Amino acid sequence: MRNFIFSFLALILLPAYMSGQVIKGKVLDKNGIGIPGAMIFATDSKTSADTDFDGNFNINAKEGEMLKISMVGFDALSVSATSSPMSIIMKESKDTELKEVVVIGYGTRKKSDNTGSISQLSASDITKSKVLNATQAIQGKAAGVQVIGTDTPGSSPSLIIRGIGTFGADRTPLYVVDGIPTKNITNINSNDIASFDVLKDASSLAIYGNQAANGVVIITTKKGKGDKVTVEYDGFNGVRTPLKTVKMAGSNHFAYYSDVAEQNTRFSTNQKYNTNWFDEITRLGTYSSNNLSLSGASEKINYLFSLNYYDEKGILNGLDYNRFTFRNNNDYKLSDKLKITQTLSASVSKSSPKPLSAFTSAYKQSPLVPVKYPNGRWGMPIIGADGQAATSGALFNNVGNPVAQLEYFNEEQKNLLLQGSLGLEYKIFEALKFTSRVGLEYNTWKKFAYTPSRNLWLAADPTRDAANYSSSDPINELVTARSDYFNWNFDNFLTYNKKFADIHDVELTVGMSAQEFGSKEELDVKGRNVPENSNYWSLNQSSALSNNVVTNHKIGNRKNLIGYFARFQYTLMEKYLFTGTIRRDGSSQFSSDNKWGNFPSFGLGWVVSKEDFLKDSKAINFLKLRGGWGRLGNQNVPINQQTFSSGSGYAYDFGGSLYSGTTIGSFIDPTLGWEITEETSAGLDFKTIENKLSGSLDWYNKKTTNVILNVTPALTVGTGATPAHAGEITNKGYEVALRWDDNINENLKYWVGANYSNNKNEVSNVYNPLAIKQTGGGIGNGQYTKQLAEGQPIGSFYLFEVAGYDANGNFTYYDKDGLITSAPAETDRKFFGSSLPTYYYGVNLGFEYKNIDFSVDTYGVGGNKVYNGKKAQRFGNENIEAGIATDFWTSTNTTAANPAPFNNVPISSNYYLESGAFFRVNNITLGYTIPKLSSSATSLRIYASAINPFISQKFSGYSPELNNDGDPMGMQGIELDAYLTLSSFIIGANIKF
Amino acid sequence: MKKIFIPITLVTIALFSNSCSNDYIDVAPTESITEADLLTVYNNNDGAKSFVTAIYSKSLDWNMSSFSWNGLSSMTSDDADKGSDPGDSGADKDKCDALTLDATSLSVQDVFEANYQGISRVNIALLYLPKLDKADAALKTRLVGEAKFLRALMYFNLVRCYGGVPIVDHVPVPSSAADTDMTLTKKTKEEVYAFIQTDLLAAIDALPEKSGYAVSDLGRATKGAAHALLAKVYLYQKNWQGVKDQTAAITGYNLVPNYATIWREAGEDSVESIFEIRGYGGNPSQGIEGYMVSQGARGTSGWGWGFNTPTAGLANSYEVGDLRRDATIVFAGETMWDGRIVSPLVANPRYNEKAYVSNTAETFNGDWETTKNIRVLRYAEVLLMQAEAANESGTGDVTGPLNKVRNRAGLANTTATGQVGLRDAIRAERRHELAFEHDRWFDLVRSGQAKAAMAADGKTFVEGKHEVFPLPQKFITQADGKSIQNPGYN
Repeated sequence: MRNFIFSFLALILLPAYMSGQVIKGKVLDKNGIGIPGAMIFATDSKTSADTDFDGNFNINAKEGEMLKISMVGFDALSVSATSSPMSIIMKESKDTELKEVVVIGYGTRKKSDNTGSISQLSASDITKSKVLNATQAIQGKAAGVQVIGTDTPGSSPSLIIRGIGTFGADRTPLYVVDGIPTKNITNINSNDIASFDVLKDASSLAIYGNQAANGVVIITTKKGKGDKVTVEYDGFNGVRTPLKTVKMAGSNHFAYYSDVAEQNTRFSTNQKYNTNWFDEITRLGTYSSNNLSLSGASEKINYLFSLNYYDEKGILNGLDYNRFTFRNNNDYKLSDKLKITQTLSASVSKSSPKPLSAFTSAYKQSPLVPVKYPNGRWGMPIIGADGQAATSGALFNNVGNPVAQLEYFNEEQKNLLLQGSLGLEYKIFEALKFTSRVGLEYNTWKKFAYTPSRNLWLAADPTRDAANYSSSDPINELVTARSDYFNWNFDNFLTYNKKFADIHDVELTVGMSAQEFGSKEELDVKGRNVPENSNYWSLNQSSALSNNVVTNHKIGNRKNLIGYFARFQYTLMEKYLFTGTIRRDGSSQFSSDNKWGNFPSFGLGWVVSKEDFLKDSKAINFLKLRGGWGRLGNQNVPINQQTFSSGSGYAYDFGGSLYSGTTIGSFIDPTLGWEITEETSAGLDFKTIENKLSGSLDWYNKKTTNVILNVTPALTVGTGATPAHAGEITNKGYEVALRWDDNINENLKYWVGANYSNNKNEVSNVYNPLAIKQTGGGIGNGQYTKQLAEGQPIGSFYLFEVAGYDANGNFTYYDKDGLITSAPAETDRKFFGSSLPTYYYGVNLGFEYKNIDFSVDTYGVGGNKVYNGKKAQRFGNENIEAGIATDFWTSTNTTAANPAPFNNVPISSNYYLESGAFFRVNNITLGYTIPKLSSSATSLRIYASAINPFISQKFSGYSPELNNDGDPMGMQGIELDAYLTLSSFIIGANIKF
Repeated sequence: MKKIFIPITLVTIALFSNSCSNDYIDVAPTESITEADLLTVYNNNDGAKSFVTAIYSKSLDWNMSSFSWNGLSSMTSDDADKGSDPGDSGADKDKCDALTLDATSLSVQDVFEANYQGISRVNIALLYLPKLDKADAALKTRLVGEAKFLRALMYFNLVRCYGGVPIVDHVPVPSSAADTDMTLTKKTKEEVYAFIQTDLLAAIDALPEKSGYAVSDLGRATKGAAHALLAKVYLYQKNWQGVKDQTAAITGYNLVPNYATIWREAGEDSVESIFEIRGYGGNPSQGIEGYMVSQGARGTSGWGWGFNTPTAGLANSYEVGDLRRDATIVFAGETMWDGRIVSPLVANPRYNEKAYVSNTAETFNGDWETTKNIRVLRYAEVLLMQAEAANESGTGDVTGPLNKVRNRAGLANTTATGQVGLRDAIRAERRHELAFEHDRWFDLVRSGQAKAAMAADGKTFVEGKHEVFPLPQKFITQADGKSIQNPGYN
């Protein structure tokens, strides 16, 4: 019908046929909203144009000439040009697949044409979670993507894509934010994110070459759209409490336990004080976020400005964090052929960190110690002759006063991160586009650490008198540190896209990418005796200027990378898909023989549902099979050049003056190259039951053949650990993602999504003799808990196995032959599983009923182990958990769950190892939208969320989700000095004008 | 448009061209000096010295001379207890005290690892010094002598602790099987002693006397120090003639009049001092990590962790009037020489005064690294070695040197007579003169008194086992059969 009207109009306007002129018009969807980016092609004049952001176009063509209009997601159509402004309405394609576009390296791709495995999350997936760092928000929402969260204010969660394939080199994926490669996105305001694409398989990743081995996340931030100015405000306030706490013994139970341990009656079992240290160091956490954005578009320009202020008061006393972000994204269409894109992001964060070891101190300090004595002095673990807390005498344990520890740890950190990019897109001719992009990143960081030395001295012994404080000691010390760096990248590529004979769709991308990670300069200066008020924390205010000293000045190594890439994508009859990529990469990190590497990949796809035999199937709406292979690299290792160690750490006094020393701290391996990972993968995507059920299945087999590990030479060599190729790691797994979407009626629609990922990680080979039996996971009392071994996953716990109790209630252990011994030898240790889960899953569901929206997100992991490090880190006379104090071995209770009280360093055993499996409700959100609040506001939504309201866990500690240092061979999966998982309740509002 | 494209095209072409992209990824390091720049940076006298300075510096490390070393050399003996609170094991110091150390004990690994780290620095210095052709030749000769003296000292501590150990005499090449064998195969005790002697003889040839050094070089190894160490090495092997020859060659030293000042700042570099590990309390401080604080009094009025405390047995063993008792032991409730009042409520009845640093009367820059020097070799020990060698060999003056030491301590000449009587007198004198100077345990073992002394101290010394400590399990694992554990340690 519409075509008929257009044809009719064309006939009327026939006389104007004769000469070329500017034809103007607008391309609209069925709702009358302009479609940006539609392509107009004049068949006779051989000219072309794109619609702008509002769907407007200008094209040089003759009246009456046929214009072909095409746009992804819409049915193509042809109309005759008219001299009066045209209004062209495009019909949405029935095949909804066509609309979906995923972001791939250096371009985008129609989802149905893509051969790789990419998980895409939308803006609403991210913003709903109310997180500082967007990575946290995707937990449980994407198959094959594991997020190990952390609630420490300002920290970054770990993101593991299809298992860990490295030990020594960097483990984090590459983030590409609007074309700028970066390793951390804590500076990105989650509200600014338009899409979050996780590239998972090697055939998608190989275009990023030697930075791709840990996966790539491509983040695209929002752009202005529409033809009017939109102002949007989103804000929330919330409270945060620990999701789970641990009940500790009271002071009388502690006294009894310690007396039994010492076989003494030093501690009275009728104590004066009963301090709950955990309560003393924690408070109700609060957080809020206020976000304001202004966006819009006109014919030549679109723009977005956004401001966000995030503020958090942590549950640990005094631990505060806030972040202010600003973003401006503009696109300028200078001509039909040339477009300039520009982004600018500034993030200013300020924090007052506190030592997380206070959690361990609070766990360990005895409850019989008061926070403060009646005379106002800090409580210390001192026991008097009457068995009660006393102000003088010997210390009965080595744990400090956690409240004083927090009070006297005063630190302020400030960080500014500026990121900006400038891009240019030039259409050389219709099918060929040139893109050039420069990204810049500047970071500056400052720290002020104030240590009140005299107060600490007074706190350590309640009998001390300030008058006796040594005049040569500082009253306080101030360390001020700063660092900065500047990184840039420069990408240039050509994209050729043409469809031949209507069936051969060819896209070729060729380009280069250069990147520099600039030197990080660090400067630390120390002085003493500055005023106590933090506004005077500068060394000019020191009353002892001669003590001002530079303790560190370092200019870090610069790192340069360069890569050349080409990608060929081919689609035959929209059914048979092929992608091939090759990247050649050079890195300054390696010696001249090992600088360059080649990273090829290919992917194949077959859209089965387009074949004749399925074309009309009602059961199967869409089915695509895909598979691929690729090779990836990881170049993130320390610079591979032999250097000398020198400076103050190697200095010595001769004749009263200090002279600097020089030696070699570790010998490097000159043959070191990058880690190479090869992955074969296959999968399928489908839609069935009237498109209501959609899903994907994926399988992969990934092998890193020359894993780099910091190997420590034999003790007798006397030099430190050095990176070397050490072995092979394999990750094999499968992923299932399903989603059901349905509308019951016009008012009610609902969805249920579920995903499950299974990954088997294995150190399949250790060929470097020095890497064999590398240990890790030391818990600070001389005990280690993990060991690297062939045939075991990374992060495997390697412990003694408890057999039972001896006649005194002390543990006995199994030796390697299964016999029982009280003094096991090193060779009696066994493997007990890894801190890495073997599976993880998420279930997400929700409904929208009229103006009400409701959603639930859940997440779970299994197959992993966690070590109760805070419980195992005993020296003597630390507090115990309530459950231990009431159930330990005695001669009349020989089957107790816990051994007889003891006061020595316990050896690492499976007594401290527990299941790390948990299932948690990550988010429940209820929202209500008032559609037309007033004449100016277009909508108002108010919402309430419960974040982490429930957890089901087996672990007896605080939280089984223990990212810690993020190192599976280090402290990951060990609860020691760890921040707690929090449960938060928020209310918020979103209003659009 | 062309304005934009010309520069972009030029840069792109530049980055595409192979030679330029190779240059682009050829980055000069800024963080530390590369080995390739050895001759441009270090080829001068200061550069040559710095390689040897780093060896001396190793002796300040926590794992080398501090907590673990006290654990092995002192707490094991009848002079010292673990100290601190009964509940505080100090990682494994309870095991040191009880003689129940095993191969995984931290102290056992620390001392072993630290000495080999020092030996590595010696070998690195010996590798690079000959390449520095612009450094003064005489200086390089002396520096090689200093390095070898320090290597000998480290092997001496290793052989005393562990018996036979691998002899690593050059920087091992990782790909060399022979070098790997060198680092993993333990040699006999005798081979280690022979190696030490070779190093010391070379050091004696290369080093000047104390008087031959400039004031700014005070603290470097001297010819006298090398003679004294070699004498001690011979003493442990009962080579009495060697002891006599070496001690006779030591000149220019004497006893200081007041024993109590020896371990104070005022007593540093005295006429009695032969070799010291030098803590620097200036700014930045570069002292012996934790030496003072780990041994400081614990609890009320205290200034440290309270480890390595003198036993009642030691305190009661001094003769009446022996000035060394008060100079060696801090007693709970006493007022110290600098006026500090030690509360009677401190955690332990006695503390090691030789580790004490006054924060009022001495240079003090924090308690972790202070001005404290460890007296490694001093003239009083030379006199006692002379007396012992004379008594054991049956020739030479026994009582002369012995009485010099006694008289300085406020005691009359010895009344002991006969070889056996004098042997006991010399042993008692060594105990009191050198208490807490990291020798008691080794003296007990070498003289065969260990079993009886341990029994008197309430511990069990197993002959055939406790003469040496276990080799660290980590090393045994790394050796993978090339070295076996010392007898008696699983």
